[in-house]
This record gives sequence, C-alpha cells and structure tokens, in this order.
Amino acid sequence: MTQPLRHPALYHRHAALGAKFAAFGGWDMPLEYAGGGVLKEHTAVREDAGVFDVSHLGKARVRGRGAADFVNRCLSNDLNRIAAGQAQYTLCLDENGGVVDDLIAYRFGDDDVFLIPNAANTAEVVRRLVAAAPTGISVVDQHELFAVLAVQGPRAAELLDGIGLPTDHDYMSFTVSAFQGTDVVVCRTGYTGEHGYELVVPSHDAHTLWDAVVAAGARPCGLAARDTLRTEMGYPLHGQDLSPQISPVQARSGWAVGWGKEQFWGRDALLAEKAAGPRRLLWGVEAVDRGIPRAHMTVLPAEGETPIGEVTSGTFSPTRKVGIGLALIDTAAGVSEGDEIALDVRGRRSKVRVVKPPFVKSNVR
Amino acid sequence: MIPEDLRYTAEHEWLAPADAGVFKVGITDFAQEALGDIVFVQLPEVGAKVQAGDSFGEVESTKSVSEIYAPVSGEVVAVNSALDGAAEVINADPYGAGWLVELKADDPAAVDALLDAAAYQELTTNS
Repeated sequence: MTQPLRHPALYHRHAALGAKFAAFGGWDMPLEYAGGGVLKEHTAVREDAGVFDVSHLGKARVRGRGAADFVNRCLSNDLNRIAAGQAQYTLCLDENGGVVDDLIAYRFGDDDVFLIPNAANTAEVVRRLVAAAPTGISVVDQHELFAVLAVQGPRAAELLDGIGLPTDHDYMSFTVSAFQGTDVVVCRTGYTGEHGYELVVPSHDAHTLWDAVVAAGARPCGLAARDTLRTEMGYPLHGQDLSPQISPVQARSGWAVGWGKEQFWGRDALLAEKAAGPRRLLWGVEAVDRGIPRAHMTVLPAEGETPIGEVTSGTFSPTRKVGIGLALIDTAAGVSEGDEIALDVRGRRSKVRVVKPPFVKSNVR
Repeated sequence: MIPEDLRYTAEHEWLAPADAGVFKVGITDFAQEALGDIVFVQLPEVGAKVQAGDSFGEVESTKSVSEIYAPVSGEVVAVNSALDGAAEVINADPYGAGWLVELKADDPAAVDALLDAAAYQELTTNS
C-alpha cells in the first residue's frame, strides 16, 4: 500500500547531525536535530539564522514558446504581474475551486517557468499541466534533480554574503549565481516570516552548499520548526488549511487569484463563490486558557455547544508562549476579530480569542 | 537512559519508591525524547483517586499531546508544581526534577507486576 520513503540528497548529513526523521509527502525528512529541538531551532530563525533542507518540495519545469502564457491560463495568480527574475505564490485549483496545491512560480522568461509545488502534490500538478499543455510546451517533473535549502532569519543575508552569494535583491525575486562550479538559484522567499532565501541547487552539488551554509553559522533546523514558524505567520499549509475541500476564498487566499484574468482553472466556481460569499472563513485563534489548538478540534461558540467550525492547524507558539491556531469558522456564526469563543480540547471547553494572523510580526521584507 | 532501580510501564511511565507505599511517577527519557520540546503538563489535584491504566494527565509538546496513564491504582498525594510554567524540566531531567506526581498505591504489591529495567529496555528497543 505505502510506497517506500524517498530520501533527500542530504540524508546522510542530517543523520550525522543526529536528526529525528519523519515522513513529509512521501519523503523521509529531518524533523529536528540532536542538541536542538523545535524551540531552539525556531528561536534561531527568529533571532539569528537557520537552514532547512526542503528538498522534498517538488520541482517542475514548463518550457516552450509561450510557456508563461500557458501557465497563466492554468494557475490562479496573474503571472503577468511579475517580470522575468521574479517569483509568485499561486494556486492550482480544480474545477470546483478547490485547491489541488499551492506553489511558487519562478518566471525565468516568457518561455520558461519553474514551479515549486508541495512534495505530495507534485505528481498531480504535473499530470494536470501535462494534460493541458499544447504542442510545443513541455512540462517536466524534476523532483529529484534539485535540492532546496531555505536559509532564514535576520542574519541570513550576512551569512550568504560571507559565502559569496548575492543577497540584496527584492523580496520574491531571484537571481542565478555561480557557486563552486555549480549554478544556484537564490530566491528571496521563505515560509517563516523572516528575511530569508531559498536556494535551488542541483542535488549532486547540495552537500557543498549545505556545508558552506552550516559552516557560516546557520543552525540546521528541522521541519517541525518550519511548521511552528509558518503557523505563527498564519501561512496556510496545503492538506490542512488549504485542500481540494477548502477554496482560496474560504482560506483568505484570494490575493493569490488573478480575478481579472479571462482564464484559469476553477475560475467559474471561484467567481460564483466569491459573489455568493463563502460559507466559512479561515481565522486565527489564540488561546485564552492553557489549551493548545490542534488540527481537527471542534470550534464552539461563546455560548452553547453547537459546533461552528474546525481547527485546521494549531501549535504552541514558541515566540508568544501561547497556543495558536487557524480555524475554518462558519460565516453564519458571525464571529469577528476579538471575539472570545472556545475549542473542544479533548472533551474540555477551552477559551480562545478570534484574531487576524499573523500572530508574530512579519519581517520578510 | 533507563535507570536500573525503577519500574516501568509499556506506556513509558516510570515509578520509584518514595515512602511507605508511596511512589513517584514520571515519564521516561524515551518518552520525552519522542515527544520533543514539552511546553505544558496537566496534572491531577492532590487527593484525586486514579485507577491503574486510566489517563490522569497530559504532557503536551509543540507538536503533539500524550496522555499519562496511572501505573497502579491509588491516591495522588503530591504533584510537582515546579513544572507549572517550566515543563521543559521534563525534557532536561525526566527521572529527577521532571517527576510528575506521587501516588499512594492501594496495593503496593501491584508495583511488582510492572516492567523492570531489562524488560522496558527490550520494549523500547523493539518499538
């Protein structure tokens, strides 16, 4: 039934650092490192610099005459809002407006777009693009060809400067740089809320880059810390806060939709939902009591026991030292910012306050 | 790390004799390692009666929550209030300062039926 887990190119580097591993989208990835742990790794990214191996993320290349126009007819965001050398957060929707995946599109040129989907959804995104691609446009799954390192935190720029990589480009833009005989795509992106870079490097050269970044002082950080960091920013995680059952209108990801475009997958359903108003909306919840929100907990109104929603992500915020989460709440319940409602925490009622994320100030720019 | 002189459960609690018929209870090094950074612990009140095998509290890490099960039936005679706001002590010193409660066993002999260090070692090696 289950496929064997795939291993990132840097697997042995992580094992040597005493990493605890866990399955992420079919990949055996570091969860946290010996001598670290979620709290230390999280704090390193907020206050200093950390490096994550996120090579489980997918990679796909769309090439051919008019590749960017083709991608723009498929994915939700308007790729013409950005120029060559810029990247964009976008969505792959199904015909019902549900989210097949959220991904980053790198516009290398009019005829060349590089995509970074989520690990578990890469094959499906590629399948849909291949099926839609006209003659002359190729869509190639390059999942294992490249490793991706995310260097994040207030000292990230300084560390990368120190190993000769370019760092002064704008947020959501990228540049290709030579590094010890290989090409590295240095993109000002990330998923932590801190100033940071994502480095795309051929898998067989990943060790050299990883070693240089770690030697420069970046703390190796596992995906457990990446999850607490992104939750503090209110960034949605596909499979939890976004899914084929959760539309971008519900998840407040409408900013990643090119509403004025004539064509993109799921357009009709999404326009209809936007016009009618979503039946539920994603909110932040912050614990008033001691309980920690966890995915799938039931959301309860201030008074009464009739469920009004469900928690989609939740954790303890290492920065704020309080339980935080994201929850889909029925529009009909009429909640608004600042309201005190409750969660069913394993049979006990635990108070939470409705908030608008982020829970921690963003420093991405 | 599995101290020789303690008793253990398959749910990764340890017991140590504290006083006549009274046992200190905590979670093992294996358990704290598996949980990761512990941020909250919820313990019963002093005076609470617990039944062997029943959940009497929770240990919560950033990532997950784990119930604590009573290794034997008895009465809670002390709780480690030092853990309030400092649950990370369980990670740092699970067999010492990270103890959870003291239980006065209804039947102190019930402790003899729990796993010894060798049996617990075997359990964690094979899991």
